[in-house]
Amino acid sequence: MPSNDSVQTLYSDHHGWLHAWLRSKLGNAADAADLAHDTFVRLLQRHEHLQLNTPRAFLRTVARGLVIDHWRREELHRAYLEALAHVPEAQSPSAETRELLLELLERIARMLDGLKPKVRRAFLLAQCEGLKHQAIAEQMGISVRTVERYIADALYHCYVLRYEDEC
Amino acid sequence: MTAARPDAKAVKQAIQWLLRLRESGHEPTLQQQCAQWRSAHHEHEQAWQRVMHLHHDLDLRCVPGAGLALQTLETSQQRLHRRQALKLLGGVVMAGSATWLAKDLDAISAWASDYATGTGERRVLTLPDGSLLQLNTRSAVDLAFNAQQRMVRLKQGELMMTCNARHPVLVQTRNALLEGFEGRFVAYQDNDCTRVSVTHGKVAVHRPGNGQLLWIESGQNWRLDAQGAHRLAHLGMDPMAWTEGLIVTQDMRLSDFLTQVSRYRHGYLGCSDEVADLRLSGVFRLEDPEQLIQLLPQTLPVRLRQRTRWWVRVERMA
Repeated sequence: MPSNDSVQTLYSDHHGWLHAWLRSKLGNAADAADLAHDTFVRLLQRHEHLQLNTPRAFLRTVARGLVIDHWRREELHRAYLEALAHVPEAQSPSAETRELLLELLERIARMLDGLKPKVRRAFLLAQCEGLKHQAIAEQMGISVRTVERYIADALYHCYVLRYEDEC
Repeated sequence: MTAARPDAKAVKQAIQWLLRLRESGHEPTLQQQCAQWRSAHHEHEQAWQRVMHLHHDLDLRCVPGAGLALQTLETSQQRLHRRQALKLLGGVVMAGSATWLAKDLDAISAWASDYATGTGERRVLTLPDGSLLQLNTRSAVDLAFNAQQRMVRLKQGELMMTCNARHPVLVQTRNALLEGFEGRFVAYQDNDCTRVSVTHGKVAVHRPGNGQLLWIESGQNWRLDAQGAHRLAHLGMDPMAWTEGLIVTQDMRLSDFLTQVSRYRHGYLGCSDEVADLRLSGVFRLEDPEQLIQLLPQTLPVRLRQRTRWWVRVERMA
């Protein structure tokens, strides 16, 4: 855990720069302020010691992850609302259900980050639609064996992400 | 004591068991075999528990309202990628290359086809998804359509997209990536900017070097350039009129009007500074731009200086 002191120094030295950098990425001062704040909170929560040789590169790495999370959230909301527009009002889930679902989708989307599109698609067809491997193979035009391998790979990928911090 | 953390081999085996059971509809013999495997080692059991937990967390089949999950996840992921790519390229992009999006387009193997119009020519194309693409004079587009993405690259000139509701259509210009949903919009690639006008629905604008999404609503006209995005309060003309072979102006500056008209004819057409700010309102037919020019002195205090058929300058009446 980094000491509050070192984070404090980092903050006073580089907060202005980080805010400007985030602003150039997000095009919006309010979001930039939020994410700059989150970046430092993230640092306080880290277990390992801060590597201070290149503080800005370090801050940028943390902040970039947050920017992508922020965009992912925006895009999920947008895509979900668009999909919802084609559902009859009566079947539309309540606001609470939507929020819960979006949180869940965000968690899943983050986990699946970095998977190849085909691996991801095979996995999602199984998890979201409950399709059998045979059906997925037909839909994607690949063999059942490949589908099995894709889904197993995707699960292992998620497993590593979920449990990597634990010993 | 057994290891506190199952190794990769045990985890992969647990995943195999899970998939086989799920696929078989939890067939009893298989369940029994799986139970044997689990009890063979403490590590197996631990790996099994963790994989089951994980699987449960990732299972969307029983979540209420999750029917749209697949679509939502896939659509948002594609857009996120596009956004990241745009953002990464930011800054370098405005150097003037029309291929700045190329890195982001590996999903599209090749630009499927090219369409172009000559001076004064207009063309209507029906795209594979039912969207309508209209090209104005001196325009060129590349099309790339596949199951995931519908992309039109506006290389020069002007187009009107009438989008089919089901899938958004992407229009790439030199200054931005436009994403049109159900609705209709016009994009005009000028030398240093793109003008976008929306008449129905709305358009999402992705800009290089700017992560903020810009929404252009119905009835709005915007100019997108290297400096940013500017809403145009007064365009001076109906941006869609060309699709009916007309220029419809309202209080339009003469020099802007002549710039528009020169797109439909060969040669030079310009005016002197003294008359540039004269205003013009009316409905003009594009079929015969020469006649249109000859009629100008009847509506404005101007005269034509004509050196050749292709060189015309509008000046103040002597």
